[in-house]
Amino acid sequence: MRPGSKLKRFLFRYSLVPPHRWRPAATVLVAVIFGLGLYLLRLSNAASYLSDDPQACVNCHIMTPQYITWNHSSHREVAHCNDCHVPHNNVLNKYFFKAKDGLYHASVFTARAEPEVIKARGPSIEVIQNNCIRCHESQVTDARMLGFTADHFENRTDRTCWECHREVPHGRVKSLSATGHQIEPIRAHAPEDLSIVPPWLETIMNKNDP
Amino acid sequence: MKNWILFGITVVVVFLLAMLGYTIMDRKTEARFAYQPTVQLEGIEPRDSVWGLNYPRQYQSYQKTADTTFSSLYNTSGSRDVLEDNPEMVILWAGYGFSKDYSHPRGHSYAVEDIRETLRTGAPMEAGEGPMPSTCWTCKSPDVPRLMKEMGVSEYYSQKFSDLGSEVINPIGCADCHNPETMNLTITRPALIEAYEAMGKDINQASHQEMRSLVCAQCHVEYYFDKDKEDAPQAQYLTFPWKEGMDVEAVTQYYDAIDFADWVHPLSKARMLKAQHPDYEIYSLGVHAKRGVSCADCHMPYKSEGGQKFTDHHIGSPLSNVENSCFVCHREKISDLVTDVYERQRKIKEGTSYLQRQLAKAHIEAAKAWELGATEQDMKEILTGIRHAQWRWDYSVASHGAAFHAPLETSRIVTSATGIIQETRISLTRLLAALGHPEPVEMPDFTDKSALQAYIGLDMEAEKAAKEEFLEEVVPKWLKEGKKRESQMETASVIGR
Repeated sequence: MRPGSKLKRFLFRYSLVPPHRWRPAATVLVAVIFGLGLYLLRLSNAASYLSDDPQACVNCHIMTPQYITWNHSSHREVAHCNDCHVPHNNVLNKYFFKAKDGLYHASVFTARAEPEVIKARGPSIEVIQNNCIRCHESQVTDARMLGFTADHFENRTDRTCWECHREVPHGRVKSLSATGHQIEPIRAHAPEDLSIVPPWLETIMNKNDP
Repeated sequence: MKNWILFGITVVVVFLLAMLGYTIMDRKTEARFAYQPTVQLEGIEPRDSVWGLNYPRQYQSYQKTADTTFSSLYNTSGSRDVLEDNPEMVILWAGYGFSKDYSHPRGHSYAVEDIRETLRTGAPMEAGEGPMPSTCWTCKSPDVPRLMKEMGVSEYYSQKFSDLGSEVINPIGCADCHNPETMNLTITRPALIEAYEAMGKDINQASHQEMRSLVCAQCHVEYYFDKDKEDAPQAQYLTFPWKEGMDVEAVTQYYDAIDFADWVHPLSKARMLKAQHPDYEIYSLGVHAKRGVSCADCHMPYKSEGGQKFTDHHIGSPLSNVENSCFVCHREKISDLVTDVYERQRKIKEGTSYLQRQLAKAHIEAAKAWELGATEQDMKEILTGIRHAQWRWDYSVASHGAAFHAPLETSRIVTSATGIIQETRISLTRLLAALGHPEPVEMPDFTDKSALQAYIGLDMEAEKAAKEEFLEEVVPKWLKEGKKRESQMETASVIGR
């Protein structure tokens, strides 16, 4: 049996195959839907979500406070959004979780149902906590700490890291209006020329050079 | 019937897809306006108050550079007369502006005010008069890149200080270090770019962390005014002597090779060099630079207000803000950290205080030798010794932070300078003895600034009176003209569009 013939039989049974006369029109119609879908993928910058680039997370401006607070934190140099916010136990789980969380975000955003203050939800909390441990394992399991830190074992197993490390990395105040006018321009809205020497000076100096 | 259902479903799907498409576009547009500045910064905007409308936190913290209350062991954010504290400096700089007036620099906010008020810039009553070139303004104001853009760089360097009095009225500010479109750090002074080119490096390759020091290195460096530049014969062209390297030996070699002298000392007749403030060069030889710490990390540490963490633009001594600067890496007691700094400064000052006294004596002894009939030949090596020793002394003290930025390097420079001047004084003693003067040369009172200024022939009363007249008559005119010019500048508001 040729692949696809099952689909064909299904289409025939429910009379979903248009009569000959209508086939070109139907093809065009279906293609319109596909084309529109493709355009939406491009418009929403969907491919960027496959990457680990933090700029993808500010495709929606709702995440700007999170982006800017991270961008001013010590984690900027060592961890990107995905290092903390998606699981890293295996690749499939990573993309599954990312898709799940991402579609949830997208639906909330599209419905304009976003809260003023964004907080991590249950599954996300678990992922973040595991990622703290993933990098800081040697610190949190250091046997010497047991000796001179009171309740070290309980403190590192019964609660999340950020119950104490509250400023890490986004700070304590992070509502939609908390960060004001962005200082670091998001790439999508920044001019392309980011050279250090301003163009006017470059021009004058080149004129002086024979 | 089925076909009608299919038709209906397709209509609904396309309708929803189009709606989704519309909301995506809608929210993308919204993103452009969600975090919107108040004004559009166009070209080189020299007025910080305009930038401040967009960046109130940075602007307000920067305004605090007007605070002059902080003092550490030897330095202050206010004005303190250095000559009063070290009167022998009057002898070291005889014949040069610094013997008239030298005070601790106040905060960035006073840059323009201080240069107008110091006796070193004279009292030019008319445009085109006075001792100083326009180049003196270069580090004082964001009006300078504006003028360079309007006039051209060489043309800017070819004026007199007094020609630009009404043009340069805003103290060092936002536009000196920031790109108005992106807020990224930028280099607006050609001298640093040219110095990089001279060293065979490309400043465009600098990382963000390097830029956090390089914007400071536009000004906080050793420099001189090149009067023999081929393509700019009228100019006093601001140049950094970095071609052979950035350490004190390389720079000495550079100056000796072109036989450069800032002035000829009237007592010893030595061709002297005045070190400016090689903060960046000396810092780069210290342990903090080696560990990748930038100027801004200590002098402009991060600060939080509400949900916004931002760079504190109150640039000043980290000792006034130990918790935010040192504590990031050093979890010690504040008093311990401060003591560590003071200890380095105190120990190096022991060396420099001794050294400057020796230098002053050498100048006076050399003057005596000339008086007794010494020949050029006799004096040649002695004068080179005085030139090199005083240059090294100056290089180690002129940047007020050297003793902490790189204690070992600074101490090495002081030691070598002490060696050079002692050798020179031994030669001088021999020469004086040969000229029939075996006893010690009579010295003035090194503890009295005014007596020493009289000794080198300065008429301080006249200098001060001329300055006062200049400040009362000329400066208000400059300010009035400048304000009038600025009142015609337009500010583009974003809100209204």
